[in-house]
Amino acid sequence: MLPNIDLRIANMIKALEQVVLPALPRDQRLARDQAMLVAGHLRMMGEQWKSALRYEQVALDDLQGLARHLLPDAPALLADDLKAALSMAQACDRVSVTAIERANIDLGHAVDAVILGGKDHAPLPPESIDALLNYALRHARRERSWFKANRLDPDQHDLPDLETMLAEAD
Amino acid sequence: MSEIIDAPSIDRIDIWNRDDMEPRIREILDRTVRDRAKGPYAAKTDSEVIAMLEDYFARTEGLEAIGISDVSRMAGGASKEQFAFTLRHREDAAGERLVLRMDPLEAISQTCRGREAQVHVAFADILPVASVRSIDADGEIMGQPAIILGFVNGVTEPSEGTGHGVSGIGTRYDDWADKLAPQFIDALAQVHRFDWRSADLSYYAAPEAGTRQAAIWQVNWWSQVWWDGVVQPVAMVTYAERWLREHAPVCDAPVMCHSDLRLGNFMFEEPSGKFTAVLDWELAHIGDFHEDIAWAIQRLFGTWTDDGTFLVCGLIARDEFLRAYEAASGNRIDPVKLRYYEVLNAYKCAVIDLGQAMRAATQSNNHQDIILTWLGSAGAVFLEQLVMLIREA
Repeated sequence: MLPNIDLRIANMIKALEQVVLPALPRDQRLARDQAMLVAGHLRMMGEQWKSALRYEQVALDDLQGLARHLLPDAPALLADDLKAALSMAQACDRVSVTAIERANIDLGHAVDAVILGGKDHAPLPPESIDALLNYALRHARRERSWFKANRLDPDQHDLPDLETMLAEAD
Repeated sequence: MSEIIDAPSIDRIDIWNRDDMEPRIREILDRTVRDRAKGPYAAKTDSEVIAMLEDYFARTEGLEAIGISDVSRMAGGASKEQFAFTLRHREDAAGERLVLRMDPLEAISQTCRGREAQVHVAFADILPVASVRSIDADGEIMGQPAIILGFVNGVTEPSEGTGHGVSGIGTRYDDWADKLAPQFIDALAQVHRFDWRSADLSYYAAPEAGTRQAAIWQVNWWSQVWWDGVVQPVAMVTYAERWLREHAPVCDAPVMCHSDLRLGNFMFEEPSGKFTAVLDWELAHIGDFHEDIAWAIQRLFGTWTDDGTFLVCGLIARDEFLRAYEAASGNRIDPVKLRYYEVLNAYKCAVIDLGQAMRAATQSNNHQDIILTWLGSAGAVFLEQLVMLIREA
């Protein structure tokens, strides 16, 4: 496509930083803050957009792995729901970000129900807790790397770049 | 987990009773859900603010010939819409500089302006806090909940500082730290020594001493925020809630907690460095003092010196901070309880960033949705902290 997405994002950042921001009065702090955040979001999205589908696929695959770990020890009623959500996730359109996001949400709710253990709060076996914490660590690292460019992470310098993170996840 | 569940009952608190919550917090959370559909919310213009204030002072105080001038939107925070303005009227031609702090339809945290007003008044003779000029706790007159405060001069970060960030995060105090750190610790100690039983705090309720209620009230507050607004499930947030219920500690003596005393939430004057205001009391509640200590020592609110030392809130090394707090307050820090409240606070931050902020931005219900999504992109920092803290506990 012409102009391509990278070029349009770069144009928007340039316009904001070289024209819009200098034109804003210094006392208009909210407007200036928001304009800078727009530029920051655009810069981050410029790095992310080509990998977004791959990122969502990795995230869903990892959540499915957790669901399979939780399944054998889940209370019967919750296990049925979890199985159904797993089936839906496996069948979802893997080239659609929207479809994968939806599957992630539906499967996430079924996983949550197992973690809470239903009305009786059935105990979580130690193996399930281990699997959950291992998954949660991978999930957190992935998300922190994905959003590393926001510079809010106190340990941002220890995080891999997006390409390395996704290659490791594969 | 099973040994916790099967253990003899510590007290009469039902750790899974989600209704066990401060009544006013319940009202605020219910109001949030009820009003959520009224959006989207647009930032107020100066002329709208002037009209609102003129009408407000005429109706509440019967002022005549009201003039609202020098309206200036204040930046900072990720929560309330704030405007500085000057109020003049027939009996006061010179005018009074004030700050309007009002709730957008939905913010990063949903809180009560009535509680905020009461705690400001309670601490007026104890700590530097802005004076309360007027309060519309439920927005019955203003149209949205609001508090009007006296204007306070000062800065939240050094004017010539080397580090600045959203909501104060990343601020470097450098040479100012020696002046600011003792005042910061003293403020925490003063808050915790405060005799809340003798103050007018009718919007507040106190958890029962000697029980787990202080912890469970917080878990119920923030888990309700999560479940009322969840945009996308996060397994670690759900597991952390379960862990927090099953490991809730007893609070022997509930104290007033500021709940957000950190870098960015105090003002000082230059060049003396003297505190002019302790800010953002909206999350204040009566609870366990460990909660405030655990909040202040969070990594996100700290900075590192060039030689790699972590500074609590950019001010003081962690061990030194804990020692100085104990000396100033007379409280003895229990490491197990401190760890519990570190988990609770990481959970709270995850709920705020990945739950409430995402819901408010998704509904377009805030005047600065873009800051909410920016802060939301840092939410995973707290998820990893939760994993580490729970594994080490």
